[in-house]
Amino acid sequence: MVLSTLLVAALVGTALGAFLQKGRFCFVNAFRDFFAYKDSRVTKGVLAATLLTMVFWGIAYQFGYYQTFWTPQWGFTGLVGGFIFGIGMTYAGGCASGTLYRAGEGYLQFWLTLLCMGIGYAAFTVAFPTLDSTYFAALTVGEGVSLFTVTSIPAGLLGVGVALVALLGYATLIGRASTTAAFAERADAAQLNLAAFRAPIVGLRQFARGTAAYARGLARAWRNPIAASKQPWDPRTAALGITAAAVLWFTQHSIVGVTGPESRWTGYLLSQVGVETNSFEYWGSVLFQGQGVDVTVDMVMIAFVIVGAFLAALWSGDFAVRVPKRRRLPNAVVGGLLMGTGSRLAPGCNIGNIYSGIAELSVHSFIAAVGIVAGVYVMTHWIYREVGCAI
Amino acid sequence: MPSIDDVTNTPDELSDDDAAELFEEADLVQDMMGEVCPYPQVEAKKGLQRLEPGDLLVQETDHVPCTENVPRAVGDDAEAKVWRSGDATYRIYLQKQ
Repeated sequence: MVLSTLLVAALVGTALGAFLQKGRFCFVNAFRDFFAYKDSRVTKGVLAATLLTMVFWGIAYQFGYYQTFWTPQWGFTGLVGGFIFGIGMTYAGGCASGTLYRAGEGYLQFWLTLLCMGIGYAAFTVAFPTLDSTYFAALTVGEGVSLFTVTSIPAGLLGVGVALVALLGYATLIGRASTTAAFAERADAAQLNLAAFRAPIVGLRQFARGTAAYARGLARAWRNPIAASKQPWDPRTAALGITAAAVLWFTQHSIVGVTGPESRWTGYLLSQVGVETNSFEYWGSVLFQGQGVDVTVDMVMIAFVIVGAFLAALWSGDFAVRVPKRRRLPNAVVGGLLMGTGSRLAPGCNIGNIYSGIAELSVHSFIAAVGIVAGVYVMTHWIYREVGCAI
Repeated sequence: MPSIDDVTNTPDELSDDDAAELFEEADLVQDMMGEVCPYPQVEAKKGLQRLEPGDLLVQETDHVPCTENVPRAVGDDAEAKVWRSGDATYRIYLQKQ
């Protein structure tokens, strides 16, 4: 690896880790808290990051500033693996990226989760030859593809178009929620029809007001940058920073993934203690693609995510070596194992499939994202069984 | 209407003195050190169910996201204030409404 590549990997990883930590950018939080009590702060951040990244990746792809997409074969594996991953990350209390940044904040619990994810990757690798001829052969439908590469619409335009449609859909949802509340007392059919028609406009106005208020808050924070930098940040601020890092990474390397590089780390670390990892088909020919088991640039980037989160946490007074309660150990062990195996069975984690996968318009990731969110939904209802969920 | 809470996202913060004084008045203290999401949220909801209006529930936690998630989870059931010690421990004060 050349030095400039390493520097970019270190920069991107550190930035991602710092923004994840400062924005508490957690995909479990984004979906679980939305289902449990309709808290959509982090959900908005995740949506903003995904859509913004999609727009800029589309533009970068159109003008040739990209290296590769990540488009696995699509089929029902995305639903099965995604569902297992979603269950696992909700039980563990942190997604693939959340586990990394909390490891950097000093949580021993999430180091244990990482270790168990590693065991999950290794177990999958041992079973891979059998799974390949049974599970993957039966459930795979077609070759993977990114919609950016197959349409005649210029990729930049397609990205903007999809983002606008998503924004309009979102505006209609929040607009309808407020207009139906306003008209709830007068159950007049004509009024309600009018309300349905006006919903997108009302929603867009709300979105504009919310964004303006956010921008004002950001401008206020700039006046006192040191104090503000130690406070928790709005997830939307994290979304902007993550997008910038991901766009740089896309032009230099590929999309952002977490569990793929982690599986490679598992293979590499095992090879260092004498295991012939190269002889396993999954590590040797799939993950390391016959190049030999060695440290790759995306592995460096992922390691620096932990470093970035550590630095941000230290700066904010949020770093401490945290010892978990004994009754939380099953969450780390079982959650980690489910995330490790689920992310290989899909394949891909919340970052690969929800954030990067939707941003690169990969067909496989649309399916896997549905599986992951369904897993979070089921597990959230189980965890909140005594107090109830809002959705 | 978007409120200022959409931007700041954080409940009121207590000074060190106010936090110490108010802690004496707690009717229920939950030790959430070493716990992670979403268990503090669930425990806060269960704890508030056992209390009378006006009672004070205090959670001691070392989990950063809880300072925002727990107040959000209890919503209008309690008025929330937060104290940050500065060395990665936090207290969440929830007064049942």
